[in-house]
Amino acid sequence: MTMLEVRDLSVTYRQGAHAVPAVREVGFTLAGGEILGVAGESGSGKSTMAMSLLRLLPVGTEVSGDVTFNGENLRTASWGRLRAVRWAQASVVFQGAMSALNPVRTIGQQICEPILLHDKVTERVARRRTADLLDSVGVPARRQDDYPHELSGGQRQRVMIAMAMACRPNLIIADEPTTALDVMVQAQILRLLTDLVSDANIGVIMISHDLSVLADVCTQLAVMYTGRFVEIGPAAELFTQPRHPYTQALTRAFPRIGDPRSRLAPGGLPGDPPTPGQAVAAGCSFATRCSQVMPDCGTRDITLWPAGDAREAACLRVLPEYPDPGEAAAPDPAVAGDVPSPADGPAKSDPAKSDPAKSDPAKSDPAKTDSAESRPAESRLADGRPTESRPAESRPTEHRAGTDPARQADSGQPAGQSAGQTAGQPAGQQAGQAAILEVRGLRVTYPSRGGRGPARAVDGVDLTVDAGEIVALIGESGCGKSTLARALVGLVKPTSGEVHYRGTGLRYSNSALKRYRRHAQLVLQDPAGALNPRQNVFDLVAEGPRLHGLTSDLNVRVRDALALAGLRPPEHFLSRFPHELSGGQQQRVVIAGALALEPSLIVADEPVASLDASVRGEILRLILNLRNDLGLSALVVSHDLGLAWNIADRVAVMYLGRIVELGSVEEVLLRPKHPYTRALLSVLPDTVADRAPILLSGEPPEPTSIAPGCRFHPRCPVAGALTADDPRLQLCRGRELPVISGGGRRESLVACHLATETEPAPMVGSSAEAGG
Amino acid sequence: MPADPVQSMTRGHPTSDAQMAALRRSLGLDKPIWLRFIDFVNDALHGRLGQSWQFQQSVASLIGSRLGPTVLLMGTATLISVTLGLWLGVRSGWRHGSLFDRAASGVSLTLWSMPTFWLGMILLVTFSVGLGPIPSILPANGMSDPSISGALPHTLDVVRHLVLPSMTMVLVVFAQYVTIMRSSIIDELGSPYLLTARAKGLTDADVRRKHAVPNALLPTVTVIFLHIGGIIGGAITVETVYSWPGLGYLTYQALKVPDLPLLQGTFIIFSSSVILMNLVADVLYRILDPRVRAQ
Amino acid sequence: MTGTQADIRHPRPSQLPASGAVRAESAKPPPFNAFRRFVRGFLARPSGVAGVAILFAFAVLALVAPAFIGPAQLDVTKVSGPLLAPPSAHYLLGTDESGRSVLALAIWGARASLSVGVIATALTVILGSTIGLLAGHYQGWLGAVLMHVTDWFIALPSLPLAISLSAVLGQGSASITIAIAVTSWTSTARLVRAQTLAVEARPFVERARALGASNSQIVVRQVLPNVMPLILVSSTLTVASAILSEATLTFLGLGDPTSVSWGSMLDSAFSRGAVTAEAWWYLLTPGVAILIVVLGFTLTGRAVEHVLNPRMVK
Repeated sequence: MTMLEVRDLSVTYRQGAHAVPAVREVGFTLAGGEILGVAGESGSGKSTMAMSLLRLLPVGTEVSGDVTFNGENLRTASWGRLRAVRWAQASVVFQGAMSALNPVRTIGQQICEPILLHDKVTERVARRRTADLLDSVGVPARRQDDYPHELSGGQRQRVMIAMAMACRPNLIIADEPTTALDVMVQAQILRLLTDLVSDANIGVIMISHDLSVLADVCTQLAVMYTGRFVEIGPAAELFTQPRHPYTQALTRAFPRIGDPRSRLAPGGLPGDPPTPGQAVAAGCSFATRCSQVMPDCGTRDITLWPAGDAREAACLRVLPEYPDPGEAAAPDPAVAGDVPSPADGPAKSDPAKSDPAKSDPAKSDPAKTDSAESRPAESRLADGRPTESRPAESRPTEHRAGTDPARQADSGQPAGQSAGQTAGQPAGQQAGQAAILEVRGLRVTYPSRGGRGPARAVDGVDLTVDAGEIVALIGESGCGKSTLARALVGLVKPTSGEVHYRGTGLRYSNSALKRYRRHAQLVLQDPAGALNPRQNVFDLVAEGPRLHGLTSDLNVRVRDALALAGLRPPEHFLSRFPHELSGGQQQRVVIAGALALEPSLIVADEPVASLDASVRGEILRLILNLRNDLGLSALVVSHDLGLAWNIADRVAVMYLGRIVELGSVEEVLLRPKHPYTRALLSVLPDTVADRAPILLSGEPPEPTSIAPGCRFHPRCPVAGALTADDPRLQLCRGRELPVISGGGRRESLVACHLATETEPAPMVGSSAEAGG
Repeated sequence: MPADPVQSMTRGHPTSDAQMAALRRSLGLDKPIWLRFIDFVNDALHGRLGQSWQFQQSVASLIGSRLGPTVLLMGTATLISVTLGLWLGVRSGWRHGSLFDRAASGVSLTLWSMPTFWLGMILLVTFSVGLGPIPSILPANGMSDPSISGALPHTLDVVRHLVLPSMTMVLVVFAQYVTIMRSSIIDELGSPYLLTARAKGLTDADVRRKHAVPNALLPTVTVIFLHIGGIIGGAITVETVYSWPGLGYLTYQALKVPDLPLLQGTFIIFSSSVILMNLVADVLYRILDPRVRAQ
Repeated sequence: MTGTQADIRHPRPSQLPASGAVRAESAKPPPFNAFRRFVRGFLARPSGVAGVAILFAFAVLALVAPAFIGPAQLDVTKVSGPLLAPPSAHYLLGTDESGRSVLALAIWGARASLSVGVIATALTVILGSTIGLLAGHYQGWLGAVLMHVTDWFIALPSLPLAISLSAVLGQGSASITIAIAVTSWTSTARLVRAQTLAVEARPFVERARALGASNSQIVVRQVLPNVMPLILVSSTLTVASAILSEATLTFLGLGDPTSVSWGSMLDSAFSRGAVTAEAWWYLLTPGVAILIVVLGFTLTGRAVEHVLNPRMVK
């Protein structure tokens, strides 16, 4: 039974004299109980499309097409009629509940408001219903009189959902409902939303930039690009067997932990997501970034064509007269069994490193396909298009210095290192390689504020980063990972503990810090904010060398750094200002600014968190290449375990100021020992091994009140399952765990009283045995 | 001391140097300036504002007698200008760029650019003296006509006297409230919670009244109370122009001598009222904004 | 610390072959790019252009005034016009109570009014910006002390404070200038401090620190360029209110009794019976001059603000 039918929906913004098409000829149908996911990068028009359904767009926006909802055309309905439909029949869950809720009214008032408006009930009835609604989303009803700022982020999003359910609507439009929430909270919210709507037979349109999140919860999936649906179909099939090259690239952009093809090989797309209003040439708007482009793509008009069972794709390749793009890129669950063992993993899955010649693409593919499962790689080879798993070759901007023999002779280290890697050893395991950075007993405590205790942001951390190694530091927001990163580059002075750079303790005098900063550089999360808007690219990159008096060859230095960071030709960028660059280019400028000082260590704090999915892979690949070619070490801080799988050699999982698990990426991500790591892995929307998600209750506690004993025990599902008189529970509650010390290179280290108890069933059968 | 009060006090009377010196000593003018400042602070802290040189009366009682008219004038003017300014500001900001907005902004900007006392004199010439065809319809001086007796007639007379001074102040001051409220509303316009309110099916007027205005008022309230210092400045010149028997006119009178104890006295009163208003603004902000209240 | 050259394990980027092709001598980017963008944006705002035109006209008039106005027109003892005469062909804007041409007085008065306004603003901006920047950047004891001083000054109502100051300093344009600067630097300081705090919170300041910038380098290279537009806007608006304050203080009799300014014209018009004589030309001329110049500065300031702060354009 169709509840919502959208046909030929187009939205055009007016910018002065310009007409900016934001949504073009979108059509779909939705029945009660169905969840349609709409995925797309920023500027793809997905939110505009969603808001246009209820005509919530700014005045002066032109909308055409039909939106038939419960038999009524909403596009042409009168404003009075539309107001009656709004919320009573179709409600919205907005992203960022903090700003979508009115800060000066209580949440009770705000939930009551639509009930009083549409259902014309008394205040008492409305309040009682509000209490029930809050109850149903897991927020205590007594919090009705609280203001939004008094709730946690997850609770606010729950309130938004309760508010959306207030008038028992038929349709809920959820616009990025879980963006900016922690992984764990995101999983809770998604489950809540899907449970509620399936109980009430509500239709949902869920907008997200994250295709993998949608694939998990939606029945139907649509992918948007430049305002169009480029592919639509049943969620599971679309995600596992994408037909459109853009969808294929997007699915690859989300790493699947356990999939050897994405290990040390982040997937992405060249180029930048188009901005709305950018002139669209004739033909396919994706052609400029497409790896399978054909001559006809630039000329033939593109629409959605049938592409299999209940599926449509807007790509010429689905038409019978063109060669099929194949399903090369489809992640195949079968490969799950082929996880590389920790010892040889990186070498095998990164052909770029194992092939010293590195110039002939044909050579590197066989190197990769020595794994048992070679079919996908071969089919890609047959297509003759660059593959995502060859970072070195797939970009014209690749830095080839690594092949320069003279250079390798000059600087023994990188050469020696690549030799080691050729021998099949990850950098971290090389004998005799000194740690480049070592922290011991690091603590950062912020003085108490506003009646709370002192915040132990970093509460005892030992960690080493070896030369040429990439270490990922993973944790939820507020776990202290960013503080730790800043302490490593000397921006935060530790309360106690030491930071050693190449064996020498860091001192905090101005001159010592300045000297240290030539060697250790920081890359920040938000590149738009990290670049001074009043400086052009030249000055931005030249900033570091100027501060350190390296001005004799400034021009050359800046150009080389830009080229290294993949901005080529550098001349093209020198005089541009940050706002004239795309997000990916901005992040490259930040990285170039760091490279201009020729550091040996880069600390990157969520380097890709604010970037679009297709750009994310390109930036990660740049970091990986810098390591491979220049021998740069890196510590990458992220909330995303998938990132560790993409680029890191070792991974440290942090919880409330401590590292709770540390080891090689394969060891920790495939055979997690700590209950926290296991929970984090289980809620990832897309892992190769499907296991029941372990939802941790609540949200990460504050570093101002750290539980005694094991700091994780209040949320620990394993400890929670123990009976009250179990002596092990006393251990969890009462005995402080030692700080994890040592590299965690041979086997992973874990800070858990119950670690042996929690040895999981092998996550992926064969690999666990191979790893021993 | 460049402006010598002793000289201006004895102007027109033949005075010997010895007499001048004695007068100086009695006024404490022979001490170095920092010592006088300490004495002054000490006295002020103990509530001793001293004697006015000019009126031969205690400064405290002078201020007491002039306080009422000033509060009346400033209160009236503030009330009207805040109401007018906020209303115009909300309407301008909600439809910014509209004809109404441009007209309101233009008028208030022009009025703000006028010196208060000058506008006062223009209104005085126009409505009180009577200019050309315009008859003299409103009184020019003071706060009331002593010849009118009886409670009601007296009140009406005060109101008649109040019209021009308060109108002058309102016209100059309200522009600031328009500007603040307007930009405050424009700041809120992009807020997602307004989109939420619209999605709920509220009418445009309700979205504005129930959601946008309460939020936009928060920053405005603080600024209104902080502007009290500016209103005092306006009161001094307006009272001077209209000979309104308030603290502002008293300040002008003290200035002409200069009558330093009186000047200090009025200064203390003005400053403490500004400090008081700052405190009120703080308290009010805490009441209005739940985010601050919680802390 | 291990800051020796041997530690750098990868070659200098300049030695890398990849960049060989692009090592051509190419000049630095055009420095006027930002400025040209600013001018283009400004010209698109008619009100701002009008404001600048007004200011330019008055500035020219004030500068060339000595060429055609001298003691013959200004000295009470040397003029011979009719007293308080309405506008006529000979006296376009009438005469004052001593028989001087109001037009000549108004033109001459622009010199005093503008110069006091501009000099007071310069003092205000230098004092306020320095204190605001320091208070915003150094958040330790220095910032706290500076902020307390600023708060203390803000609690003082500006006109009574200026009156008290000029009463102590005596009559004259120097004391008026100082009084205006002392009473108005606080708002600049608060504004600049708030903007400094906002800029300091942005990641590029942290980036600069991570690149090795010292405190003073951060203030000069990162914060100041981002606070400068605000200072510029605030100073045009400060000139406007400084001119108004000058007129007010002079009107209250605190100005230099021997010099002619718009405020002193209004003072004598008020105290010498222009109101009762209905000498509207004598009242109107200096007031309108003040109005136009203040409007000119305000319009200019707002246009600059709109161009520099695209968020306001919306």
